[in-house]
Amino acid sequence: MENALFLAALGLPLLSGATLCLLRDREGRMPGRVALGATLLTSALVWFLILRAGEDTHVLLQITDSLVLCLRFDRLGRFFAGILATLWPLTVLYAQSYLEGKPRLGSFFGFFTLSYAVSLGVSMAGNLLTLYVFYELLTLATAPLVLYPMGKKALRATVTYLIFSLGGAAFGFATMAWLLSVDAGGVFSLGGLLNAAPDGTAMQIFFVLGFLGFGVKTAVFPLHIWLPRATVAPTPVTALLHAVAVVKAGAFAVIRLSWYCFDPTLLRGTWAQAVPLALVCFTLVYGSAMALKQVHWKKRLAYSTVANLSYVLFGVLLFIPAGLQAGLVHMAAHAATKILAFCCAGAVYCRTGLEYHTQLNGLGRRMPVTFAAFTLSALALTGIPPFNGFVSKWYLLTAAAEAGTPLAYVGAGALLLSALLTAIYMLIPAVRAWFPRRDAAPAAPAATREADWRMLVPFVILSVSLLALGLYAAPVLNAAAAIAGL
Amino acid sequence: MLILLLIFLPVALAPVSWLLGRRSKSLRDGFVGAVGLLELALALFAVRGGAAASVPALCTMGFSFVMDGFRRVYTLIFAFMWAMTLLFSPDYFAHHHNRNRYYFFQLLTLGATMGVFLAGDLYTAFVFFEIMSFTSFVWVIQEETAGAIRAAKTYLAVAVIGGLVALMGLFLLWDTLGTLTVSELYPAAQAAGKLPVLYTAGVCILFGFGAKAGMFPLHIWLPKAHPVAPAPASALLSGALTKTGVWGILVLSCNLFRGNPAWGTLILCLGAVTMLLGAVLALFSIDLKRTLACSSMSQIGFILTGVGVFGLLGEENALAARGVVLHMSNHSLFKLVLFLCAGTVYRNLHRLDLNEIRGFGRKKPLLKLCFLIGAAGIAGVPLLSGYVSKTLLHESIVEAAAHYGWALTLVEWVFLLSGGLTAAYMTKLFVAVFVEKHPIRQAEFDGMKRYLNRPAALALTLAALPILCGALPNQTMDWVANLGVDFLHGESLAHAIHYFSLENLKGAAISLAIGAAVYLGIVRPWMRRDGNYVNRWPQTLDLEELVYRPLLLRFLPGVFGAVFALFGENRLTAPAAKATLQAGKTLSHAFSDSTDALVLGLRQTVLRQSPPEDEDPVTSSVAYRLGDRLDRAARRRGQRGRQTRAERFYRSRRTRQATGRRIRGNLSFALLMLALGLCVVFGWILFRG
Repeated sequence: MENALFLAALGLPLLSGATLCLLRDREGRMPGRVALGATLLTSALVWFLILRAGEDTHVLLQITDSLVLCLRFDRLGRFFAGILATLWPLTVLYAQSYLEGKPRLGSFFGFFTLSYAVSLGVSMAGNLLTLYVFYELLTLATAPLVLYPMGKKALRATVTYLIFSLGGAAFGFATMAWLLSVDAGGVFSLGGLLNAAPDGTAMQIFFVLGFLGFGVKTAVFPLHIWLPRATVAPTPVTALLHAVAVVKAGAFAVIRLSWYCFDPTLLRGTWAQAVPLALVCFTLVYGSAMALKQVHWKKRLAYSTVANLSYVLFGVLLFIPAGLQAGLVHMAAHAATKILAFCCAGAVYCRTGLEYHTQLNGLGRRMPVTFAAFTLSALALTGIPPFNGFVSKWYLLTAAAEAGTPLAYVGAGALLLSALLTAIYMLIPAVRAWFPRRDAAPAAPAATREADWRMLVPFVILSVSLLALGLYAAPVLNAAAAIAGL
Repeated sequence: MLILLLIFLPVALAPVSWLLGRRSKSLRDGFVGAVGLLELALALFAVRGGAAASVPALCTMGFSFVMDGFRRVYTLIFAFMWAMTLLFSPDYFAHHHNRNRYYFFQLLTLGATMGVFLAGDLYTAFVFFEIMSFTSFVWVIQEETAGAIRAAKTYLAVAVIGGLVALMGLFLLWDTLGTLTVSELYPAAQAAGKLPVLYTAGVCILFGFGAKAGMFPLHIWLPKAHPVAPAPASALLSGALTKTGVWGILVLSCNLFRGNPAWGTLILCLGAVTMLLGAVLALFSIDLKRTLACSSMSQIGFILTGVGVFGLLGEENALAARGVVLHMSNHSLFKLVLFLCAGTVYRNLHRLDLNEIRGFGRKKPLLKLCFLIGAAGIAGVPLLSGYVSKTLLHESIVEAAAHYGWALTLVEWVFLLSGGLTAAYMTKLFVAVFVEKHPIRQAEFDGMKRYLNRPAALALTLAALPILCGALPNQTMDWVANLGVDFLHGESLAHAIHYFSLENLKGAAISLAIGAAVYLGIVRPWMRRDGNYVNRWPQTLDLEELVYRPLLLRFLPGVFGAVFALFGENRLTAPAAKATLQAGKTLSHAFSDSTDALVLGLRQTVLRQSPPEDEDPVTSSVAYRLGDRLDRAARRRGQRGRQTRAERFYRSRRTRQATGRRIRGNLSFALLMLALGLCVVFGWILFRG
């Protein structure tokens, strides 16, 4: 029975997505509605599984004794699936309004729904091989979405995206092969699968390789280039896939690799921790500084994602349970915050065609709900209490202090510097929109309307969740603590 | 429960006022006034009893609130200030835009400010402190003029930077001591010993709170933000919000670093500089509200000097503690009445330049009296409350001078000089607005009889009354001081203080004499030209323009830019990424090709396929036979081609076979097939149930 439910959760979006892809030239509202229905059903099913399902292993395919494709829905998987299942329907609803009247909606919503199935597969994967398969499929399922605008820029972005993702996966493949060769490719378990302490150097080399491979999707410097370029995709894609699903799948894979395959206690204090951590600390500041430099609003947000993913990785790579908890809390916080920020930018683009945040003079009066939501997301992302970003930042800082290594303190400093930069690059557009200079020309004609309800509903839900999870963060904190074994 | 109501009631009612304001403006004005009075009633009720409250799990660490004597006094003062400004506001804002926004954030800030003062631990204080910074930002930018926007940006930058630095300090403190509860800081710090990390944490937190208090060298926002905000908001910014900064410094000085002379010296030095610098800036200013803002900075300096002396004195700190408590509360009330007076002037003339508002206050007895009370109070004229607190501060400095010698004597003279400057700039304001005549518009000014409506006049009068408590210090102000000193952990007084003894009056007399000398010797002859006031302060001498803005906007971006340009997409990042990927590509090709080579090699050697049977390969193939049939059919119809179909079909079949063999022998194809197979298997399992 449970077996069937799992397959249904994966199969429903898979089949409906594939069907929609076949109707690729369909226009009008039908594809969006079908996608919304399928997504809602799937999300309901996933939430049911999160709350009720057991932690049994469901073998899909046994190739050889060691090569097995299997599903296992453990706490970490549930955490990630919970984020996906909450945010996906909201974004599909938003996309209906955003893409109204655009061509090739069948294929757009088809691939969008397909990516849902694949992301869920990532979250449910029971061992590294399964994870790897879904991880690769994620690249393939989302590439057409980046290509959707069909322009020259979109083509370039797609090629970059494919090259980076597939190239990175080669490293991941090498690591997987090594893990299988030392008989550590079994079902994930916290604390790693390396039972007999293997050769230290090989383990460290392959860990760093694997980190880099999966780090491509988490946009660790210098492998982040694809992410800002991919902002040419329609906003729902940028918002959901390139701020949540794809990039968080990368972070998720790094967690799986470092905490569930390798043994964090063996890696702690070695160069295999220092190198990734140093890269991450650098990315923290680099992403924020680059974000400050951008005038293109969505690119600015994309660079901000680069920095924020490194917050998550910073927590994870501290290799202490408190760090893992903090990283997961930030993963959830950033998901809701960034999706909201992107969606607001998209709503403005949709209504006015403005792409640069320098053009927003006084737009707050015309689109009050949108900009109120954006301001909230800016405050939350900066980490102003009482929003959820503050909670995660506090936990990251205390985790860094608990780790107590020099690099952890450097990271804590980088975190605060990055928060300062975040405040500047997020608040400037907000201030400009609400408090225009008297002498500046208004940004948009007086007839500009507020976004319609299909956008506003996600805005309101997400804004409330930012505040609610800041004021009462216990559910997320407890879930993350349970994963980290605290 | 009462504590929580004090904090969360205004916050909860703020959206109500906003919604009401969309329907009817007068209804909203009445509503916010009622909320102010309600808060005042709650505060009065709270004065009677102390309690503590906590909200667990909110904002993860939970909030804790404490009500003690000091907080009771300040709850009352804040509620009073907000009630008076809310009473005053409808008249002031009669012709302003965006009032709804103003009132909304007014109420939010009230709750947040209460939250800071009532907080039982630094974490709670920090959360409310940040909320307060952001909600009060809207006050500064309310008018949306170019100056307001610039000042508001500075305010925001200082608030954000200060907040983050303070957060760093809090987290260091939490990491070192394991507690942030105010009452537990002292024992924890004693147990931890004198760690350098404690000083680092202390300085970081001081940075955050000091920025809000307007402490040198973080005062830059204050003289700019206070004048551009609407007058009721300026009163609160000066009188109330700066005190939250002082609150934080008090928590540090009186708990974490209690009896620590090094810390006391630091605060004393910063306080003395702030005190003098603020007074000098105020003396030079020719803008009514800017003078008052600089005066605020100077008075905060007085308070901080008291805090520093308090830290130096150790066991004999009773006078300093009482002086600090009283001067804090006094200053809040002075600034309330003074800014409301300034607001009255601005409401009627929409000008603040002393040359343009000259003579406005003539023949307006209520305004004149209220301003006079405030000005004389802040200058430390005996019988008003300012005299009492300044005397206490002065006496404590004298006491410290007995222990520490010439350095403290220097501080004493700085103190007296700053007091003198206070008297001088207040005289300057009073003479300009209430005594001198405007060269052109005097008749028009004198005709403005209805310059205030009744509630506003009531607010002004009520605001001026508490200052008169200075006439009976032992009965009124000692009560406040007794309530407040516990918070500072001050020692109790050995004997009652004779405020009007000759010794104490002498200090005030020296200050006032200096003030008279400065006014007559410097202000009258030097700061006026042809009867007009001129600003003699060199315009280029501005810490913000000279240091901070270039540092933050030019220097740091320059350095960052240079560093990151090195890592920019085309310099290092892209080549590095390309190299990494190339390595990955080579690696995976090596894996893939070696397998292929292995397969190929095996097929050429060990697993070499035996040659096909002797069957005629040409005539037996299906393609050949099909082509042959077609050829015959064509020949029968009389067509002729150079190449027969039989040969063409056969050749293409050979090509297909060869390509297919090559593809099927490849690992990638195997993987592709695997994926397809997987899909089929998925489907099969799904249908099977």
